[in-house]
Amino acid sequence: MAKFITIGERLSTTAPSVNKAFTERDPEPILKRAKQQLDAGAVYLDVNIGPAENDGEDLMKWAVKLLQENFDNVPLALDTSNKKAIEAGISVYNRSKGKPIVNSADAGGRIENIDLAAANDAIVIALCSADGIAADNDERMMHCQNMLERGMGLGMDPSDLWFDPLFLVVKGMQEKQMEVLEAIKMFSDMGLNSTGGLSNNSNGMPKNIRPIMDSALVAMAMMQGLTSAIVNPNDLRLMETIKSCDVFKGNTLYADSYLEL
Amino acid sequence: MALNGIQIFKLTPKKNCKECGCPTCMAFSMKVAQGAMKIEQCPHMSEDALASLSEATAPPMKTIKIGTGAEELTLGGETVLFRHEKTFVNKSRYAVELCTCMDDAAVDAKLAEIPKVDYDRIGERMYAELVYVNCDAEATADKYTALVQKAAALGRTMILGCSDPEIAKAALEVCKDNKPVLNGANASNYEAMNAVATAAGVVLGVSGKDLNELYDTTAALEKLGNKNLVLDVTGADVKETFGNAVQVRRAALKDQDRTFGYPSIVNLAKIAGGDYHLQAALAAVFTMKYGSIIVMERMTYAEALPLYGLRQNVFTDPQKPMRVEPGIYPMNGADENSLVVTTVDFALTYFLVSGELERSGVPLNLVINDAGGLSVLTSWAAGKFSGNSISAFFKENVEPKVKSRRLVIPGKVAVLKGDLEAKLPGWEIIVGPREAVQLVKFLKDLDA
Amino acid sequence: MPFNQKPQKFNAKINTVTVGTGDKAVTIGGNSTFPFYTFDAPTENRPKIGVEITDMGLDEFAPGIKAYYEGCTTMAEIAKKAAAMEGGDFVVLNLDGGDPNGVNKSTEELIAVVKEVAEAIDCPLVVEGCKNVEKDAELLPKVAEALQGRNVIVMSEKEENYKAIGAAAGLAYNQIVGAESADDINLAKQLNVVTTQLGVDAKKIVMNVGTATVGYGYEYVVSTMDRIKGAALSQNDNMLQMPIITPVSSETWGVKESVATEEDMPEWGSEDERGINMEVMTAAADLAAGSDAVILRHPQSVKTIAKMIDALV
Repeated sequence: MAKFITIGERLSTTAPSVNKAFTERDPEPILKRAKQQLDAGAVYLDVNIGPAENDGEDLMKWAVKLLQENFDNVPLALDTSNKKAIEAGISVYNRSKGKPIVNSADAGGRIENIDLAAANDAIVIALCSADGIAADNDERMMHCQNMLERGMGLGMDPSDLWFDPLFLVVKGMQEKQMEVLEAIKMFSDMGLNSTGGLSNNSNGMPKNIRPIMDSALVAMAMMQGLTSAIVNPNDLRLMETIKSCDVFKGNTLYADSYLEL
Repeated sequence: MALNGIQIFKLTPKKNCKECGCPTCMAFSMKVAQGAMKIEQCPHMSEDALASLSEATAPPMKTIKIGTGAEELTLGGETVLFRHEKTFVNKSRYAVELCTCMDDAAVDAKLAEIPKVDYDRIGERMYAELVYVNCDAEATADKYTALVQKAAALGRTMILGCSDPEIAKAALEVCKDNKPVLNGANASNYEAMNAVATAAGVVLGVSGKDLNELYDTTAALEKLGNKNLVLDVTGADVKETFGNAVQVRRAALKDQDRTFGYPSIVNLAKIAGGDYHLQAALAAVFTMKYGSIIVMERMTYAEALPLYGLRQNVFTDPQKPMRVEPGIYPMNGADENSLVVTTVDFALTYFLVSGELERSGVPLNLVINDAGGLSVLTSWAAGKFSGNSISAFFKENVEPKVKSRRLVIPGKVAVLKGDLEAKLPGWEIIVGPREAVQLVKFLKDLDA
Repeated sequence: MPFNQKPQKFNAKINTVTVGTGDKAVTIGGNSTFPFYTFDAPTENRPKIGVEITDMGLDEFAPGIKAYYEGCTTMAEIAKKAAAMEGGDFVVLNLDGGDPNGVNKSTEELIAVVKEVAEAIDCPLVVEGCKNVEKDAELLPKVAEALQGRNVIVMSEKEENYKAIGAAAGLAYNQIVGAESADDINLAKQLNVVTTQLGVDAKKIVMNVGTATVGYGYEYVVSTMDRIKGAALSQNDNMLQMPIITPVSSETWGVKESVATEEDMPEWGSEDERGINMEVMTAAADLAAGSDAVILRHPQSVKTIAKMIDALV
């Protein structure tokens, strides 16, 4: 089994300092955040440039080149609703450390992002929702099947579709949590890869609680077969939990210093 | 071999008709993968899909039996490429080659040599289980049949290396009841050879000039209904042969390509160029990597001692450690008055300890207790190497046979000293070193 | 329908480590396939063979090995003869005589032997300790110091003494560190981690992950190497990508199959042939399991294994 893949989420326009740096093409804050995440063990970095309707193509190219040149072709998830920007990013992307990830498609209005991934030999994060959150796992799996069929029809390897069950916030949707975890088990039984924005679960909780909730959830989700997650790699507790789960699952060979690797 | 959901899903009609009771074909596939539903519950599965599913759930490598009675051997049936993934199940078997190209004296010498190697190692009989009788291009049916008959007298299962259907037929007349292998089908003769092998009820060996030809010929034989096959993967040279052996096994087990899911034959007599040392090296390599039958020019003790040791190790189930038979093992010319040393029946412990004891040159009796095949500390913790079990074993098995009353126990169970002194009156209990490597010095100091 | 050949490609490879200096330097490791899987990718560097001698001279050698060194009286002569052995790539000096439970030679005495051997040969050199962790901790840093500039492998760095040996060999004197564990994959990895944490370059580490003679618990060696190669290649675990060097002869020439005389075991036949095949088959199995280099003694074994490697790569 392959090691759990962490996608670092901290390069996002939702953070004001990152947004400012993207807008001004200021490398320093971007590189600093990227390095922090990589040092903490992130495998992929998510590059969320927001809608970027005006200069998305230029911005994504700039970001991809900046990060890959400075960090030994670090693999990236290209995160924007601007399709042209994703294509532009892929056009300058170096695959030596891993395929680019298109973040993201869904079974509704954004299903064409699967086509984009297929055309560019990329991985795609496939959200199991169409218009709003799936009501239950029957609906989730319906979306899953639709997206899988579309990708396979376009010649994609099923392992390049990473299905996202959509992690739900505990405060408000506590009763839905087990269903999300069951969906992951279904993906896993199908032999499919999965991912998701794990920290959604702890939205709105006190800052000191979030790492605890996130760690517990990642352990349960990995048990169910989750193969990847979009996370804050600078959450030490979470990363230590993931490394420990990788040991239990036999994804990595144990050594006393495993947490330092 | 279970299929995962995606493999099943690919075969479904993907109509989401819900007639099976599932909301989607994917949900149905998942239930089948989990074993909660049967594939037949889908009313729209095509015949082709059902056939390929039943094929896919069959074991990836066939189990083939050759020989009869006590000489029956089981080949193949492996499910993993590396022993730690589960275990290897059917060990490599070795054949010594005879050939119509050899003169009578050479044949007689070989036939006299083969039975000499026949011994027991940790409960396993070690001998060349097979004789490979090769028919060279010039040989007639009479000459070959005569050689086969001569070889049959050894009582070992035979592999007939013969690609002429007529000659093979004649030879099988005299030996088919012993269930030999007929190794001789190829792209040009497979139909005739298939008829001969099937009529005689024996396993057929297939070869090809390369992997593609081997694959096609095997597929053609399967189409004729013969799935009682072994694949001769011997190529033009060592490198090709190794590549064939690995790729055939890997295709079957990793890529689920069942056409290659048969045991293999590797003929070292053909590729080692008469170099016995190279042949020994290659026999080890093909025991590690995927030779089911390994054909050699000879099997003397020089080959057998290391090779059978290797095989015994490689084919040990990782879940069931090898055990040594409990008993008294005299070493270095010991007699009934020699010092007694004891340890557990875990094979690795036995080998480490006995090796060092031999190195010491000190005559002594090594007593192996029944300790459940566990190491010293583990068996002690499990109560299987305790004051009670050791003293009971000594009273029953050792005291009647050995006069010495000096006993060395492993340093790791020094705590047993008092207990044993109480339970084995008359014995001097000596605490030995904690590690086997310290035994030589310990014994020297003990004598001094 | 022809056979659908599916090469197994890994995005990982074993580190390349160069031992020695100048024309005779040898490179081990560098491969990105399981051993001899040339159908997946060409072999980058063929496995190498070390010829083992010991500070004890010829006394401990079996008759067939002794015969090869006939006429040699000094360690320098023995070393030269070892370096000239057909099929050998480097010389291995075993410092068995330092064992406090054995002959217990002093560090100074052994360093003199090390220097004599090193000066006699220009091929790469590997030095093995005496099996005693305390003595090795004192001895091997001195060996590393004495051989500065020769880029040798200093073997026998263990869990108990890695700080002393790793720091001296890998840092202070820029040699190659041979990290030793015994059929314990977790420890093999851990030792690489802590050695690199000392500051030793990962590309200057080789591993001895355990050795045994075939028949003597050899299944542990097989599975240890299988798992290490598997993790190194399929999980791209860079703390297990160090090349593996396996001492064979020091194990195989001690078992009864090799040492029993023909008088003791008449039915077993030639003592020399038995000893050779015990060494040859163990080495062949080690190489098939994943050793990037093996250490042997008998000239016939060295020749045979070199021939086998030629035939397989």
